Amino acid sequence: MTAALLTVAYLAAFNVARTRLGVPEGEARRARPFVLLAGVLLALGVVVGLAAASGPLLRSLQITPETFRIAAGFTAVVAAGVVLAVPRPADEPVPRRWRAALWPVAFPLLLGPEVLVVAVASGAREGVAATLGAAGGALAVLIALGFLPRRPLPDRVLVWASRVLGALLLLAGIWMAIEGIREV
Amino acid sequence: MGRRLLLHLSLLAVVAAGLRLAVVPAEVCPEVTAAEAEAAVHEAAAWLARNQSEDGRYLYGYHRGRDEVSTEYNFVRHAGVTMSLYQYATFFEDAAVLAAANRGLDSMLDELIAHADWLAWRPPGHDVELGANALLTAALVFRRQAVGDGAHDAVLRGLGRFMLAQQQADGSMHGYWDPVAARTIPIPAKFATGEAAWALALLEGEFPGEGWTEAALVTLDYLALHRDRDEGYLTRMPDHWAAYALAEVGSGHLDEVRAGYARQLAGYFGIRLRFEAQRRGTGINLLLRWVPGTPAGVGTAGEGIGALWHLAQDESRMGDLLPNIEDRLACFAGMMVERQSTSLEAAAYPRPGLVQGAWFYRGFVQMDDVQHVLSGLLAARPLLQAREVTG
Repeated sequence: MTAALLTVAYLAAFNVARTRLGVPEGEARRARPFVLLAGVLLALGVVVGLAAASGPLLRSLQITPETFRIAAGFTAVVAAGVVLAVPRPADEPVPRRWRAALWPVAFPLLLGPEVLVVAVASGAREGVAATLGAAGGALAVLIALGFLPRRPLPDRVLVWASRVLGALLLLAGIWMAIEGIREV
Repeated sequence: MGRRLLLHLSLLAVVAAGLRLAVVPAEVCPEVTAAEAEAAVHEAAAWLARNQSEDGRYLYGYHRGRDEVSTEYNFVRHAGVTMSLYQYATFFEDAAVLAAANRGLDSMLDELIAHADWLAWRPPGHDVELGANALLTAALVFRRQAVGDGAHDAVLRGLGRFMLAQQQADGSMHGYWDPVAARTIPIPAKFATGEAAWALALLEGEFPGEGWTEAALVTLDYLALHRDRDEGYLTRMPDHWAAYALAEVGSGHLDEVRAGYARQLAGYFGIRLRFEAQRRGTGINLLLRWVPGTPAGVGTAGEGIGALWHLAQDESRMGDLLPNIEDRLACFAGMMVERQSTSLEAAAYPRPGLVQGAWFYRGFVQMDDVQHVLSGLLAARPLLQAREVTG
């Protein structure tokens, strides 16, 4: 997968539009900057950590990277189905202050099953640097979206963008599963 | 919040468990040494030789649970088993195995027919089959290499001319020839086209410069580009004979089409062997992955990946696949050595001689089960030896 395609896959896996809809908000209904940034950094750390540990992790589980790609694709397809059916995230209770970065930003909004498996799959195949670049790029888009004030029109755009990203995740999942099947 | 957290964590756990059980069970590849693989090969060849009849026919099939010998027979498989025994003989000197191969060969040579400028084996009452004659050709080539004489060179060339007579301008092959009507039957036979391509490629090695490679390449291109559509396959057929043919013509004759075909075949054999390594045949894995595959099915994947391993070592366009190809081939060897019936297991059955050294699928072994695994292990042995040297 090229760097551009991998970035698109991460944009879709993180579903930055859907995630934005669930991020705790502050003044003028913009995302709380510290909470969003901390959540993003935490998620990026987990993704990079999983990518870095993908080799030993898969070896310990006795799974070849090629076969795991099928699993990642399968998970992405199921997650895409959920997004297409429910493009808005559920309202989660928001704890006070910095803890909101952990819950709900890092988990469950960013670190869903599809992101975790894609992190392992891309770490094993494309490597840690490419994973960092792609995931970092996708999360930078989320941070930019954090400045978007929540109003009826932007909300509708975000919901439609969530659906589009869900469709892209579906395609990325199918692509990954086929790659996993075709590889040696 | 605690309840929501629990809900999401439970979802993660369910996804992880579902993936582990249904999509990525552990791929278990037992470690084996080259010596263990060699011992398995000896046992397999001994099973084929030991259970052969005086008339040269091999034991077709045996159900160990019911102590029941199959009364069926298949002539393409007869040629295939003979070929694998001569393949074995190119590596090992074993008088009993060579004698068995010779008996199997003689029974075919006794039934040769001549037409126009060609020769072909026709079992009484049957059509002339392209696949059987291609495998007879391969058997004679390996015999020539093992024994070192040219006693059957005229037959080899005659068989080659039969295959050329069955070959069409687009490289496709008619699978049968009707001896009563004295004409070709214009339908393909599954696997026979790949077998013929391989046999033609093998002839070039024995008789260089006679144009056999050129004929093989036409059919290889047909296999790469048109066969699957013409024969109605939805996906490409994982044809290990085509892999043998590609390896035999070698990297010098690989253009983009053939190299691409080799890569695709490697993918098919790769997923087959990865999937096989996930099979335990017990518990919930049995429900999701069913029992371990037929030895013939796994064996052909081993043969195919083994042939492509030889090719990939000299073919830069396959260099990136080499580590995975090697892992799959080693995994194949590990699985099949472990699954072979040992003398200890055989002793528990009424006729241990029909059990020891064979591979069974749900209690039944067929001669091509042993043939294909034997050939696959022969291909894997040099890899295992090389790995032991390099550590």
